[in-house]
Amino acid sequence: MPEEIELKTHTIKDFLDGVRNGKLLGYRCRNCGYQQVTPMVFCPKCQSGDIESVELKPTGKIISFTIIHVPPESHINDAPYAWVIVELDDGPRVSGWIQFISRPEQIKIGARVRYRRSYLPGMIFELVK
Amino acid sequence: MRKVVVLSGGIGPRWGRWEKLTGREGAALAAKEAIERAGIEPRQIQAIFVGNALAEAEKQGHIGPIIATELGIPEVPTMRIETACASGSSAFREAFVNVAAGIYDVVLVVGVEKVTHIDVITATTYFAYGMDQVYEARNGASFPGVYAAMAVAHMNKYGTTEEQMALVSVKNHTNALHNPKAHFHKKITVEDVLKSRVIAWPLKLYDCSPFSDGAAAVIVTTEEFARKYTDNLVYVIGSGRAGVQMALPERDDLTSIKATTLAAREAYRMAGIEPKDVDFAEVHDCFTIAEIIATEDLGFFKKGEGGKAVEEGLTQIDGKIAINPSGGLKAKGHPVGATGVGQVVEVWEQFNGLAGKRTVPGAEIALTHNVGATGGTVNVHIFRRG
Repeated sequence: MPEEIELKTHTIKDFLDGVRNGKLLGYRCRNCGYQQVTPMVFCPKCQSGDIESVELKPTGKIISFTIIHVPPESHINDAPYAWVIVELDDGPRVSGWIQFISRPEQIKIGARVRYRRSYLPGMIFELVK
Repeated sequence: MRKVVVLSGGIGPRWGRWEKLTGREGAALAAKEAIERAGIEPRQIQAIFVGNALAEAEKQGHIGPIIATELGIPEVPTMRIETACASGSSAFREAFVNVAAGIYDVVLVVGVEKVTHIDVITATTYFAYGMDQVYEARNGASFPGVYAAMAVAHMNKYGTTEEQMALVSVKNHTNALHNPKAHFHKKITVEDVLKSRVIAWPLKLYDCSPFSDGAAAVIVTTEEFARKYTDNLVYVIGSGRAGVQMALPERDDLTSIKATTLAAREAYRMAGIEPKDVDFAEVHDCFTIAEIIATEDLGFFKKGEGGKAVEEGLTQIDGKIAINPSGGLKAKGHPVGATGVGQVVEVWEQFNGLAGKRTVPGAEIALTHNVGATGGTVNVHIFRRG
């Protein structure tokens, strides 16, 4: 029997379903407008408990990155790849990974990226011109 | 609040790769050393706090009563504390709080980890449990990876170089040569670091602390109790704890760990001292960049100048402020739950003339800094020689 609770916002399960379908779900404070991607039931800025779900635009820019050569189990067949920290155009920052990057010259801070759907684990971005 | 003293400390078996010992045995041996160095009997201990992150790697939970039983005091209350790589210092903090508050007079803190029997990929995965699984690890982040992203941000903003990071490793390996309990006794060069294999660019193998087995223990007590056993008191004069958003991406600044700044502020205020008063510090150099960032966040150097400070030799044992005279996580080793307790053992040994050639001359005030994951937990403690 499922837990008896009425949810106003999406769950992590919903978020992960979204990830597989190229859809990025986040949380937004209805009082001050602050948004983040990790779950919140109170707003860290204004402490309001009035939180809603939002769909975020899939584009943004790289804030920092690394090139992973020794991966965790989930990405064992994918290294080397870039793990990136992205500031979305909508504001929130998220992490993700970019396939087939093996050298730092292939990527830079400030580069534009777009989030895309994938059957692979995690959130995959790609560099855009 | 009562004055709190570290009466003794011990490491027990040398850190590194234990082939014969399990974690529980190593923990008991470290505790035995601390108890014998204190000159007390086990039954004088009123509570045990255990710092441990990954006991499940040995398919064992609830390790507190196991350790108490080995020490011959099975009825003493125990508690295992987990805050990732800061588990040891979190356990120490609980001992400090309980003694300061008058709940207990004599507390044993034990830190322990046994991980080298599992393979590197599994260990990497276990260590990543200390991060946000859904929003960091699942996206391909390894532990070195998140620190590498901080390194790239630091290099980009302040011009910090791979050579400066390498120098942290060289220094800590040099210090560890004089620490008989250190995981590594191997002198290395900048070249060795730069040429070692890439783990998560820009971090190479020799920028990373190792997976170590190890334990450490200290006896925390009151000034009054300690005076019965020694004239050389090591006071805990400051204690600070703080956190920050678990997931690195959501922080405003990737070049700093805000929890370090906050925990340090609390500890400095309690101690009534400033960063310039600290003679040496054991800081959390899980990766070379982490030491550079820590020395800035703790206020020893201006933001962005941590790399230059290493280059100028300011953090060597004979420098302006000795950083990681024990060899640090990099070379003394990083047995996760034992690391933060081991830092306190180093302070106690330094202040008791047991540090041999790694002694920081004339040191009166020392600081320990222990970080869980990328700063979700940070503990800072400050000590004064009595």
